[in-house]
Amino acid sequence: MSAKNIFKTATLMKEIMARYNNAGKEAKKNGIPVAWVTAVFPVEIIYAAGLFPYYPENYGAVAAAKKIADKLSSAAEARGYAQDLCGYARCGIGDAYADEHPIGEILEPDLLFCCNTQCGSLPKWFEVAGRFYNAPYFLLDTPRVGLETDELCKDYFIEQLHEMIAFIENFSGNTFDFKKLSEVLALSNEACRLWNEILDTAALKPAPFGFFDACFHMAPIVTLRGTQEAVDYYRALKEEIDERIEKGITAIPEERYKIYFDHIPCWPRLRWFSELFASRGALVVASQYTHSWAYSFDLERPLESLAENYTHEFVNRCFDYRVQRKINFMTRYGVDGFVFFSNRSCKPNAIGLYAKNKLIREQTGLPGVVFEADMSDLRFFSEAQVLSELEPFFEQLT
Amino acid sequence: MNKPELIEPFENALINPAEQVRQWKKENGSKVVGFLMTDVPEELAHAAGFFPYGIINGKADLEKADTHLQTWVCSHARSSLALALGNKLDFLDGLIIPQTCDTTRMLLDLWKQVQPLPYMDDFRLPRQVDRPSAKNYLVSELKRLRHGLEQFSGCTIDPESLKQSVNLYNQNRKLMRKIVDLHAQDPALISSREIYTIINGAMVMPREKVSELLDGIVKALEEQPYTEKDREPVRIFLSGTLLEPLEILDYIEEFGGTVIGDDFQNGYRYIESDVVLKDNLIEALAERQLNRIPSAAFDIEHKPRRIFLSNLAKEKKARGAILFHIKFCEPENFDSYDNLQAMQKNGIPAMRIETQFGRTGLGQLRTRIHAFMEMVGGGSK
Repeated sequence: MSAKNIFKTATLMKEIMARYNNAGKEAKKNGIPVAWVTAVFPVEIIYAAGLFPYYPENYGAVAAAKKIADKLSSAAEARGYAQDLCGYARCGIGDAYADEHPIGEILEPDLLFCCNTQCGSLPKWFEVAGRFYNAPYFLLDTPRVGLETDELCKDYFIEQLHEMIAFIENFSGNTFDFKKLSEVLALSNEACRLWNEILDTAALKPAPFGFFDACFHMAPIVTLRGTQEAVDYYRALKEEIDERIEKGITAIPEERYKIYFDHIPCWPRLRWFSELFASRGALVVASQYTHSWAYSFDLERPLESLAENYTHEFVNRCFDYRVQRKINFMTRYGVDGFVFFSNRSCKPNAIGLYAKNKLIREQTGLPGVVFEADMSDLRFFSEAQVLSELEPFFEQLT
Repeated sequence: MNKPELIEPFENALINPAEQVRQWKKENGSKVVGFLMTDVPEELAHAAGFFPYGIINGKADLEKADTHLQTWVCSHARSSLALALGNKLDFLDGLIIPQTCDTTRMLLDLWKQVQPLPYMDDFRLPRQVDRPSAKNYLVSELKRLRHGLEQFSGCTIDPESLKQSVNLYNQNRKLMRKIVDLHAQDPALISSREIYTIINGAMVMPREKVSELLDGIVKALEEQPYTEKDREPVRIFLSGTLLEPLEILDYIEEFGGTVIGDDFQNGYRYIESDVVLKDNLIEALAERQLNRIPSAAFDIEHKPRRIFLSNLAKEKKARGAILFHIKFCEPENFDSYDNLQAMQKNGIPAMRIETQFGRTGLGQLRTRIHAFMEMVGGGSK
């Protein structure tokens, strides 16, 4: 994603995201309730219910990318929310208490929905926010799933989806429209299909698109999944990528190696990382993070299908499943090595990473490395330290 | 027997838990299933013939965990794993970890990698208790857990054994609550340190033995006459996920205080309620879990933790509250500010203190508690 290599579609993304943000601000005026949701959440139900889904995690990621996570956190830290809490949560809570809002205020919720597949930080943050904004809060609880399909978790989730629909109906006074849900699910399927086709182009040698591009282009699949905008956007992006393939435009000038990366990027240093890898001829091609949004819903059995997709998402799976999934990606994308980010903000992804690194190196024979930093807070980023961790890795690439 | 002699076995069990566990194994020819504190249905493991052992010792060599867990992972997880790596838990045959946070959700799988045991399972607690789905799910999860324990023991847990185990645990808890009540009526009867030594010691001792000892302690306390005192101790309420280190209690008493309530997993939360004896004991175990007092794991809509805590402190006539936070414990940290506000709103002076398993500076801890005790009307004895 070098400066010269910006996608035309990027302009379109800025437009649709601006439209989305604006719609959020307008929602209250238009009597549309603002519903906070989490990234891996069946937002399809929220869209179908006619609520406006707002993603506080995105707010955190934007603050991180603008390099102000530490400033925004300070009002939370002053109240004892420690620096070791998730950076997104600190930004969100910090903004609630702050007098200054350098990236604009977080959108105040009328109700909050959280799914804890991703982590336990989100529900705790949303509890705090529910108290702060005095808004009702609903948790979709997803016990962790092991290697096999888990009917117990699935059944629990389905029962909760019914509870959630009743909760929304009770809030809005409207009967939930399953026909509308079906339409939303179809749009979600299409956006996910396109998104994954796009991600797959990273396997081409050389590739027109890589992980850092995906990080740049992922906002619509997270926030607008289930709308026509997301489908249109990824159709346009896919066309542009196809054009690039024809013209021989590649993601980085000289692709010599392909790299697998976990998990969330270090947002305030996204460009630095992408340039660092590019300068070594290394293209990061896949991450389970960007592949999170790969849902496929069966419109004939919507709630069951939502439950299957959201409870069996990789972030909710056991150690062995995740190891296997990483290895599968490495094989599918033909990588030459892997880099694991031990992200202070994200315990579910960071805990066990040293063991995974060792195990995967043994099983694949690939070089691998773990580096330490934080996805949002530069106080926990040391350029010298990261380089000292990554340099020996680059030297092992052959 | 007098009281100190009766409490000594609990103290010894905490200082050297391995010795009496090995003794039990030798005598009973059975297996030990460890658990991480403390939302685990120990009754099920006990009914399967195992010794449920609470992993509690805070004196581990934390560096042992460094190659496996980042230094910013909570010290309870680090110290527990470090104990295992330091061969301090080599008597364990199995392990159950209750998933109450991100760390406990990830820990069992990592433990499997670095120190596998013949039986290892997660107890996947629901993270909400306000809706009917929680109970339906939990009943099924308890059955799953029971099935795993049965497979490991090689025989089914018959309802009669489960009833006996439930009875035994209920009796244990009842007696411990009795001790807490007697202390609340007359703090001079037994020290705060002694009470928490009993509760924590019970987690690492054979239950049958615990019952006998508790019986004796209750009798000894009931026989002890009330003595007039120059001044009543200052009543202090404590809150947090885990009480660590126990020296906290010494300092509170040293500066004229006494602990009259808490919500620690290794404190009142461990003993506050019983399993209702009914035909379907799995359902009864689920109900106990769902009706437990609030914890940091998740908030309860019909019983918000901050309101519950500040009301309880008021009800117990606390003159001050100290909110403890194990460093890097995310759930507790997300609650602390609002808990603090709620205490202050209820007119209870409160402060926060951060501690760490195996790493708490005792001098500084004592100084902070001293300052707080001065503020709420205590002082040196």
